[in-house]
Amino acid sequence: MDRRTFLKASLAASSSLLAAPALVRNAWAADAVSLYGVKSMSGAFASYGKFANMGSELAIKQYGNLLGAPVRYTTIDTEGNAGKAVRKVQEAIQQDNARLFQGCTLSSSALAVGKEVAKVNGVFMTPAGADELTGVECNRSTFRWSAATYGAINQTVRPLIELLPKAKRWYTITPQYVFGDALLSNAQAIFDEKGIEHVGNSYHSLQEQEFSGYLTNAMAAQPDVLLILNFGGQSTSTLRQAVNFGLHKQMTILVAWSAGLDQFQTLGSDVIEGVYLGAQYWHQVDTPMNKELVKAVKDAYGITPNYPLAADYIMTKVMLDAVKTSGGVSEKTISALEGLTYEGPTGTETIRKGDHQVLKSYYLLKGKAASAMKDADDLAEIISSGRSFPSEDAVGCKMG
Amino acid sequence: MSTTPTSSIWRGTTLLAVAAVVLMPVILPSPTLATEILIFALAALASNLLLGYTGLLSFGQGVFFGAGSYCSALVMIHWHFGLFPALLVGILAGALTAFVIGALAIRRTGIYFVMLTLSFSQMAYFVAYTMSSVTGGDNGLLNVPRPPVSVLGFELLSLASPLVFYGFVALLFLAVFVAARRVIHSPFGSTLVAIRENENRASAVGYDTRQFKVLAFVLSGAITGLAGALYALLLNFVPLSNIELATSEHILIMTIIGGTGSLLGSLLGAGSIVLLGDVLSALWPRWPMLLGLALIAVVMFLRGGLWGGLLDLKNRLIRSPEPPQPDTRQKDAAQ
Amino acid sequence: MLNVYLFQVLNGLGLGMIYFLISVGLTIIFGLLNFVNFAHGAFFLLGSYLCYTVVTLTGNFWLSLFVAPLGVALLAWITEQVLIKRAYHLPHTFQILITLGMALIIREASIMIWGPIGKSVPTPAGLDGVFRLGSFAYPEYRLFMIVFAAVIGLLLWFLLERTRFGALVRAGSEDTETVSLLGTNIFKLFSLTFALGVGLAGVAGVLSAPIRGAHPFLGEEVLGIAFVVVVIGGMGSFTGALVGGLLVGLVQSLMTTIWPQGASLMIYGAMAAVIMLRPYGLFGRS
Repeated sequence: MDRRTFLKASLAASSSLLAAPALVRNAWAADAVSLYGVKSMSGAFASYGKFANMGSELAIKQYGNLLGAPVRYTTIDTEGNAGKAVRKVQEAIQQDNARLFQGCTLSSSALAVGKEVAKVNGVFMTPAGADELTGVECNRSTFRWSAATYGAINQTVRPLIELLPKAKRWYTITPQYVFGDALLSNAQAIFDEKGIEHVGNSYHSLQEQEFSGYLTNAMAAQPDVLLILNFGGQSTSTLRQAVNFGLHKQMTILVAWSAGLDQFQTLGSDVIEGVYLGAQYWHQVDTPMNKELVKAVKDAYGITPNYPLAADYIMTKVMLDAVKTSGGVSEKTISALEGLTYEGPTGTETIRKGDHQVLKSYYLLKGKAASAMKDADDLAEIISSGRSFPSEDAVGCKMG
Repeated sequence: MSTTPTSSIWRGTTLLAVAAVVLMPVILPSPTLATEILIFALAALASNLLLGYTGLLSFGQGVFFGAGSYCSALVMIHWHFGLFPALLVGILAGALTAFVIGALAIRRTGIYFVMLTLSFSQMAYFVAYTMSSVTGGDNGLLNVPRPPVSVLGFELLSLASPLVFYGFVALLFLAVFVAARRVIHSPFGSTLVAIRENENRASAVGYDTRQFKVLAFVLSGAITGLAGALYALLLNFVPLSNIELATSEHILIMTIIGGTGSLLGSLLGAGSIVLLGDVLSALWPRWPMLLGLALIAVVMFLRGGLWGGLLDLKNRLIRSPEPPQPDTRQKDAAQ
Repeated sequence: MLNVYLFQVLNGLGLGMIYFLISVGLTIIFGLLNFVNFAHGAFFLLGSYLCYTVVTLTGNFWLSLFVAPLGVALLAWITEQVLIKRAYHLPHTFQILITLGMALIIREASIMIWGPIGKSVPTPAGLDGVFRLGSFAYPEYRLFMIVFAAVIGLLLWFLLERTRFGALVRAGSEDTETVSLLGTNIFKLFSLTFALGVGLAGVAGVLSAPIRGAHPFLGEEVLGIAFVVVVIGGMGSFTGALVGGLLVGLVQSLMTTIWPQGASLMIYGAMAAVIMLRPYGLFGRS
């Protein structure tokens, strides 16, 4: 139990402590570096937050001493709610003088938390999906590890077109909001360039869970490839129901923004076999750092690292490295991160100075048949990988 | 249920509210947390006016909350409204949506009433989510300012400091608290309670019960709209979740666990649930289970909620030969 | 293009039968016990999870179709004994709050037992093919669900309209005293009815598991649809659940071609319109 939690727990237990917090707070003021993990531990995104938190905790534990003292790590539970996330981050900034934040699954949380951290020139690193984070809403303090929608589409649609030269008719299923539209417009640009016929698109709302109607539309259009552009629980439902409808036997299916291992475990090999899947991370990536990570996670938790775990692990580690370089948490920590090149799980990764986007690889995977799997987590194989990012001028980021 | 203004419990209520508001920033780990509690206490108090005093279980509270936060934030962002005009817009937005939803929903009673508020809530969410060019959609509405307190263009007080902002919210909370008490003890309030107890009798006596119910809705919507506007100021941000059904549920649960039919109960309910989330979520992510248990316990055994429980406890400890305190617990009449 | 609409109508009817199955238990409990069960979706969720567990342990989906609903019904029976039977006489508002609390508990308990990540159930062997009609394909499993839902519907109708049990329960819901004077233990009857209604949610949960899988927030999604169906059809009406289910299924399916983003708006709008215009639904009694 960390200091803050303990404090609050004791407060809740007895209100007779009254003014104690202020006193205790001063007494504890040490020189240790404090990092705050903003994770969705309870609520609708708990499946993500649990692993993300494991990643950060592992990175902290491995780090040992930083500037002479062990790093202090505090989990902030967003309760799956952006409002709670912002308020708790405000609290940490005001009460504990917190400056280092890492996490936020939800784009809305990440955008708003980024704004709060920027007010105090802190550092915030997130894996969230919204391109605005390193685009129109970018700021000095916010850094993003995940590849942008541009890269996700270019590293999945492009290689698949090359792989299947005869597949000329593509159908898309898209969630109607900014993120879905970003994926769709990136895909359409490639269709135009490559002379692909976009035979139709189905928009759906963010609450939709029943996809049989959209799949019926897709079927009627008789495409060669079905491109699924939603993510999380919705892509799980879409894919499962598409396989129910036998679409995987009629056409090639590509899920451009999959969640990775945990999602594949949910679906099982009988659903994802033969399906192409875009991913930010895959535990079989052949880089020295990733091999170490897989081993460390096996030793610490007895599982194979998935995307949230790996992402938050490397971000936590990189942030601590930057603190070390800058000799303490200050505005110099931001400068230390800008342009930094380091060994990450996807190979040599670079943080672009202009928009604070991490330049890293994105993967095209293909689901394996159960008979071809070497172990329970060997659910997919890497077909291709690479990095593509829009140029710094194109993302619309103007650092304040 | 007593509505006599001379009741000793009621006289103490405002003092207790003032004491709580003064003590909270001292006891709690941060003024920001205390501010969130007061904002949700406002929302719960407004929901209490409907549920506790008029007997209407509304799943539309999140709509009023969301409308208040969106509208006040939008006029600040695009038209550079000052603090008070923006808050007023939030209040009006809440009142207006409450008027529309209330006027339609009160045409039905019981489960059908509840289902109407539920479907309006879903539709409002859909509108907010679809109009993403205005509301920011799923990403939320970012860059909401927190203007200073100013009169005729003269800046009097900056609200940038969390403690100052808490003080501002606290004053508003107390003002609403006192105003709500006056409303409850007015003839209007007694009529609401009469409607809750027995609507047929109330209308037989000659009251236009529909009109009273719509007014109760408008009042509740206005206060909830204010709460929403303050929440936008606190976060500098309006998440889409403000207008979700879950927010309505959240507000309802606070109201009920705190205690329906007592305004201080709403503060207690909001306080304990926000704190519980803050303290327990780090220790035990499955803490919402406790909310479920509490909800059942309150409805089955402790109809007065936490506040009613505290009163019972007090009565038991200070055993007096006099008749028991006026019962603030709600009777089985919330239909 | 015309073909697409034809497909959507067929698909909508299939979806509608599934919705019927989801809502019929809710409407029975409301109609016969005058009890509003906001935990219906949570029991559906339990059905899906139990199905997952049984299939994982035994590999037998058909066993789970038998065992899981029984498990759900048993739990419902226990809940009824401990809690629900004390709430029959309470106003609907209180029933909503109690069952909302139950739903929260079941959801969080499910996360404790099965973890926060969703689970999948494979389509049972023999039904994993696709039925083809020209260029239209329809999963055999969904066809099976439609037939199964129809059979369940028939059995229920027979049970409620043609047996002594049904007659007693119907009479009991009208006039509790008279039936207990006849020497029938009315409370036992009510317990059985509650367990039956909730058990049906369990059946629906099992059947939908190969299509939807199981994840902690499934219950809330399902509850919304179930209430829309029941309200449109008429709370408490058996025929209403069937017609309401088919109607909602059709609207939802057609909307995916006409105006997909508006599907949920349309459904909740329809519910509001029905309550405003025909408060007791299409088939409900006042």
